Amino acid sequence: MLKYILNRLFYGFLVIFGVITVVFFLFFALPGDPAETLLGNKGNAEQRKQITQELGLDKPLILQYIYYLNDLSFVSIHKDTQKARKDYQYLAILKMGENVLVAKMPYLRRSYLSKKRVSEILYEDIGGTLVLAMTAMLLASIMGVTLGVISALNARTWIDYTLITITVAGISTPSFVMAILMANIFAFYLSEYTGLRLTGSLWELDAQYGYRIALSNLILPAFTLALRPLAVITQLTRSSMLDVLTQDYIRTARAKGIPKYVIIVKHALKNALNPVITAVSGWLATLMAGAFFIEYIFNWKGLGKTTIQAVQESDLPIVMGAVIIVACIFVFVNIIVDVLYALLDPRVRIN
Amino acid sequence: MKRLLLAITLMSFWACTGSNSGSQSGQGSKQKTFRYNQTGGLSSLDPAFASTRANVWAVTQIYNGLFDFTKNLDPHKALAKEYEISPDGKVYTFTIKDGIYFHDNPCFPNGKGREVKAEDFVRSFKRLLTLGTGKWIFADKVLKASDGVPSDTCFRVVNDHTFKIYLQRRFPAFLHILATPYTYVVPEEAIDKYGDDLGRNPVGTGPFMLKKGYWDEKNKMVLHKNPKYWKNDPKTNTPLPHLDVVEVTFVEDRNTEFNMFYKGDLDLVVNLSEQSREIVLEKTGEVKEKFAGKFKVEKIPYMLTEYIGFKVDDASSPFSKLKVRQALNYAVNRKGLISVLRHGLGVAGEAGFVPIALPSFDSTQVKGYAYNPKKAEELLKEAGFPGGQGLPSLTLYTYTTDKEIAEYLQKDFEKIGVKIKIEMNKFSAHNTMVKEGKAGMYRASWIGDYPDAENFLALYYSKNLTPNGPNTTKFSNPEYDKLFEEAHETDNPFTRFADYHKMDKILMENSPVIVLYYDEILHMKQNYVVGLEADVMNNLMLENVNIKK
Repeated sequence: MLKYILNRLFYGFLVIFGVITVVFFLFFALPGDPAETLLGNKGNAEQRKQITQELGLDKPLILQYIYYLNDLSFVSIHKDTQKARKDYQYLAILKMGENVLVAKMPYLRRSYLSKKRVSEILYEDIGGTLVLAMTAMLLASIMGVTLGVISALNARTWIDYTLITITVAGISTPSFVMAILMANIFAFYLSEYTGLRLTGSLWELDAQYGYRIALSNLILPAFTLALRPLAVITQLTRSSMLDVLTQDYIRTARAKGIPKYVIIVKHALKNALNPVITAVSGWLATLMAGAFFIEYIFNWKGLGKTTIQAVQESDLPIVMGAVIIVACIFVFVNIIVDVLYALLDPRVRIN
Repeated sequence: MKRLLLAITLMSFWACTGSNSGSQSGQGSKQKTFRYNQTGGLSSLDPAFASTRANVWAVTQIYNGLFDFTKNLDPHKALAKEYEISPDGKVYTFTIKDGIYFHDNPCFPNGKGREVKAEDFVRSFKRLLTLGTGKWIFADKVLKASDGVPSDTCFRVVNDHTFKIYLQRRFPAFLHILATPYTYVVPEEAIDKYGDDLGRNPVGTGPFMLKKGYWDEKNKMVLHKNPKYWKNDPKTNTPLPHLDVVEVTFVEDRNTEFNMFYKGDLDLVVNLSEQSREIVLEKTGEVKEKFAGKFKVEKIPYMLTEYIGFKVDDASSPFSKLKVRQALNYAVNRKGLISVLRHGLGVAGEAGFVPIALPSFDSTQVKGYAYNPKKAEELLKEAGFPGGQGLPSLTLYTYTTDKEIAEYLQKDFEKIGVKIKIEMNKFSAHNTMVKEGKAGMYRASWIGDYPDAENFLALYYSKNLTPNGPNTTKFSNPEYDKLFEEAHETDNPFTRFADYHKMDKILMENSPVIVLYYDEILHMKQNYVVGLEADVMNNLMLENVNIKK
């Protein structure tokens, strides 16, 4: 088992390394000079050159890449200066002339524009995204299973057809279209009745009390984000439920005179849920990605909004950092799922 | 069980909605709050970095400078009590007001803001020479040492309340410069304590202050009233500001911003997206009647010229030929552009490069190009390209957010037989290309930094050629240069304006640009907001603003 986990970890590491490499060269090869973003159309060549030097963008691309990897690595080599010590907060292992071999946490550098540590920015943001994704998943699972069961019990009636039509619409509408629709309907036209706002985050700044939690801001983004998995879960539950309901043991249970309610919940649903749970576990990571546009449209403080803004502003360290974090989450979730499968089904381990 | 969970979740959501909607109307508590939204990202509250609209608006609330602007764009004494200019225009002596205090901040002993001294100005100005996006503001104006860098003694403290500035040559708009946010005063203690992080820990003398923990970057910022602000309302003699709180949200989407304003979640909105413009304006540019009653809507000129630039120094390109440039200039239907694409917002650019918002603007003196396709065709023929024949393939470089204008021009040019391709890039990539001289015909705009035409006309001064300055057209004309230098030596605004007109005329004759339009600001506020005036620099002055519901 340990060998299997190590094997997975190694592959995960390779994936992350690949992502870093691709994203690095992709973004640094794109046109657009960060110095230009910083200076606007004022400023002269000398100032631009100075900024380019400060950001280390005057060096050859491959060298920049090596420096970046050096910054990311847990074990790395740096010049032993006051500034390096402050930036990397490292633990020196071995002194080598003016350089020093150190152990440290990966350093994601600082934002070009705000000069804030990227790790700090992302750390502040990731909570919002996680809350949003988890809430959406919870909503989707609960409602999806409920609707799926209703649909299966009323198979081939108008209720079933209506639900299926709606879920097909739910699967096929892109999340950013849905987000704009939801925002306009519930937070603009109907805002007097719903009391919802067009934008807002989990934690809101209040002039008198500082940060306050505002759960009402979670409703629309979470529901919008939940729509797609909700539709998928509804259909999965429905078909799997229909499958189970035709099986012999259900007929037997019915013949024994067990109440319908008990048959559905205890006998049928329990078995029908297996494929659904598999689907749900795989969705969580995907939801993190789906949250990007939704966060942007609802101005929800999270990883997605920050990343989209950073792309617009050519703030490369933030973009790189966000991509790396999301890649790590994907890899991590995948490893967990793989390990769980392996625990449940020994055949997987051998293959 | 699951149904129960669902019910609980839903109920708890609803409960939160209910409790929150009460306080959201903002002024429910006795606090007077003004709310605006900021697109484009606020990157710093350090005056030295006040280059973007977002930074300028926020910085204006927190700091003061020696001067501010009157409604007519004249510099008006703010922290300056008196000033004196030497006869040769090179030495400025300033006395600052007594009893002006900085905001309370941990950078001061006991956290109490101290009185502003002349030394603070000198430190702030010297700092501006070494860092920030406002470096250019003093760098080429103040006295230089023999090695070409600004001299150590260009700013000098005389006593606690007096200091001097030494210039290398006369600069008539220098007081205007001292009213720009770059030159706002910062206390020495804050510079020492916060260093590069001053942009996150602002300490000023302005009507509002940022308390620690009240800036949730890219989401929301809350500014509180400065209880020790030095100004009184001249009418009622009550202390300013009237507002208790300024709330800034950072929603990037302009349509959402407009919807928030329409719903009453914002008190002010300036500059609308195309879709929202359609809702507010008739095709003629008039404000729709049903809108005018609901909100206070104002349309005023903005210090911004939108134009197409030509790189004129490349002899192999047709853009080096004057007649081609003039033909293209005549081919553009500017009035059509404004009504079709801008819903009447903006003034057709038919009178020179200096925009209508500036005091020296005079369309009787400077004639630009009006729509005349016949003349365009003639000129094209004279240039040796009848009906566009023989022209190499031409490209208009522009940025992704400006596609419509480029396509409009493409059609206008096609009418006289000139076919152009459009190449779009991200804004920053576009600017880099233009600066590196890779674009022969490119979209550009210039926002005035201070309300003097000098700021616009300097774009074509031959000593400002890229990469040393902003002259990307590479236009160079000895007569123009002479007038530019002459205008610098003139304090009398009328003779200076005459020089500006002559320069603008030379520009139009040589047409290194196609002036498209002079921008206008659409300034909309809620009916209960009083004391907020729109100005051509698109500044935001909140000290006199009050909420009267």
